[in-house]
Amino acid sequence: MSDEPTETADAAEDGGAVVERTRRRFPSWSRAVESEWFVVGATTVAVALFPWLFARAPVVSDLLNGYQDLASLILIWGIFAMGFNLLLGYTGLLSFGHAAFWGGAAYAAGLFSTQVSSSPLLIVAAGTVFAALLAWVLGFVALRRGGIYFAILTLAFGQMMYYMALSPLSGITNGENGYTDVEVGQLFGSFHLRYPVPGLDWLLGTWQYVFVGAITVLCVALAYRVLNSPYGMVFRAIRENEQRAEFVGLNVWRYKLMAFIISGSLAGVAGSLFTIHGSYVPLESLYWTTSGEVVIMAVLGGVGSLFGPILGAGLYLYVENITSGIRELTVPLTDVVLLDGFGAYWHLILGLVFVAVIVLFPRGIWGLFRDVAAGIRRLGGGRR
Amino acid sequence: MVLLETRGLTKSFGGLVAVDGVDLAIEEGESISVIGPNGAGKSTLINLVTRMLDPTAGEIEFKGESITGYEPHEVVQKGVSRSFQTASIFPELSVEENAQIASLAAEHGSFRLNFLRHRDNYGEVEASAREILDAVDLLGQRNVTAEDLPYGDKRRLELAIALASEPDLLLMDEPTAGMSPEETAATVRLIERVKEELGLTILLVEHDMEVVFNVADRIVVLHRGAVIAEGAPEEVQGDPEVQEAYLGGVEA
Ligand SMILES: Nc1ncnc2c1ncn2[C@@H]1O[C@H](COP(=O)(O)OP(=O)(O)OP(=O)(O)O)[C@@H](O)[C@H]1O
Ligand SMILES: [Mg+2]
Repeated sequence: MSDEPTETADAAEDGGAVVERTRRRFPSWSRAVESEWFVVGATTVAVALFPWLFARAPVVSDLLNGYQDLASLILIWGIFAMGFNLLLGYTGLLSFGHAAFWGGAAYAAGLFSTQVSSSPLLIVAAGTVFAALLAWVLGFVALRRGGIYFAILTLAFGQMMYYMALSPLSGITNGENGYTDVEVGQLFGSFHLRYPVPGLDWLLGTWQYVFVGAITVLCVALAYRVLNSPYGMVFRAIRENEQRAEFVGLNVWRYKLMAFIISGSLAGVAGSLFTIHGSYVPLESLYWTTSGEVVIMAVLGGVGSLFGPILGAGLYLYVENITSGIRELTVPLTDVVLLDGFGAYWHLILGLVFVAVIVLFPRGIWGLFRDVAAGIRRLGGGRR
Repeated sequence: MVLLETRGLTKSFGGLVAVDGVDLAIEEGESISVIGPNGAGKSTLINLVTRMLDPTAGEIEFKGESITGYEPHEVVQKGVSRSFQTASIFPELSVEENAQIASLAAEHGSFRLNFLRHRDNYGEVEASAREILDAVDLLGQRNVTAEDLPYGDKRRLELAIALASEPDLLLMDEPTAGMSPEETAATVRLIERVKEELGLTILLVEHDMEVVFNVADRIVVLHRGAVIAEGAPEEVQGDPEVQEAYLGGVEA
């Protein structure tokens, strides 16, 4: 949107110019539809190349030190952060209890897999439906309050779920050991998620990655469509000025509830995938730190965009999993040791990364990318 | 036909009675102006009518139907829209989006489950937003971020938002406050034009007497929450009680 040239006030003076500009703008609407295809296409390509670049490509993967399993995990948390950000970045509501949807769906998915069906698709569907219903109930209560009260109410609800899973329901959830009886069957009854994709395993790795990747693309497409539907505009209107939104005749409360349900459902998709990914549901998936992590991911990536939070999730998990595993910091591609015992400091590193990004690039990593891209365009293209 | 009627409308904040038993009837097509010293209860009256506040006592009827229990958005959907004393817009959205949001609510009602339908399918929303922006002379600035507009234009944008809701009754709370004389004159012309073209009924709260005399067919004077005078502009002007209230207001 910010790519459009900003028109100045003087255009109004000249009636002819206004008419011309009006006409010129219509094709840009049809371009919006094309750009939806473009977004989905680009996401598909990126998702397909990601595990290869991250874990197997020459040079790049040596620098990154990535591995296949982390690639899936990044996408899963990416869906979570993207869904969370529909609420924080677009509707202006800070939920501090999204662990309830992530963890709730993870448990629901796990239980479903043992009790009902081990089909991966049905497991995801079950977890998502559970999260959506939970969001509906929680939203109904918490959305009566705004600002910090809303954050506290969601936090309290999340912690309530945690303690329920810890002890009163430990007969079902297996308490502090986490739910270990997850059974993941074959996709469409024929693809074993742990097996490599024949012929394409150099690119994609396992069927599990294909499954997670396909759902990621679907979720991106869905979120992108929501933001380009009337809802996208209404959400931003609520973020900008809730009172005015009510006084143009919008039922703000119901739209907020919808934002909450859509956001909770995406968290549910991610939570269910997390269960499939690890064949296990840790109790921490309901703990408040999970809610905190997704806030950090979204802010790190940039709350003003759809894709920022996915990048934020990637960076967060990268520091958590890769950086923490590095024993000695060396100059890239050589054996020169800079610092020994480096990995032990990963929390500190994450903190530093967070502070640096927020101070230097308040619009997050995505904002930084946009600025760099705009700078290059200005340098290269010049003015016509 | 009486469009809006209040009966015994009262609002107290703790011990303070901000609006005190106001009986008001506005005919369709009429323009009335509510005046009174600072703190007289003018904004509170608007807030009551638009259901932003719950009345302590009294009844509000619009188009012959009680709206006393309505939510604010329901009142807007019925045909009452308002501007606020401080320009209330969507600051980080473009001027065009500001108007589109109001048009969207007017065309589609207060809520719909259309979150999977692309905005491309809503050409009529865009068209009516453009029409309104054209009417308030903001079409040329439609891609400007609303918060970057000069103050006078922000207030005009707020008027555009209120108009895009397609109201029958428009309540304006000091629309020219803080405007330069030129901007004020332009706003008066704008109000008169939309009143003609859209057949609006108007309730205007305003301190600027020139604006009041230009726009209003009838004036209602509020003092300490109560109506102390009512009538044609010339009648009210000469009323000793009104002059007293204003002088008292200056002293206090
Ligand atoms: N939400 C509130 N809580 C408590 N008191 C209030 C509230 N809103 C208004 N008041 C009080 O009610 C009285 C009437 O206020 P109101 O804003 O309606 O006056 P007004 O006529 O619009 O004044 P002005 O010309 O300054 O805008 C004032 O004494 C004000 O302090
Ligand atoms: Mg006032």
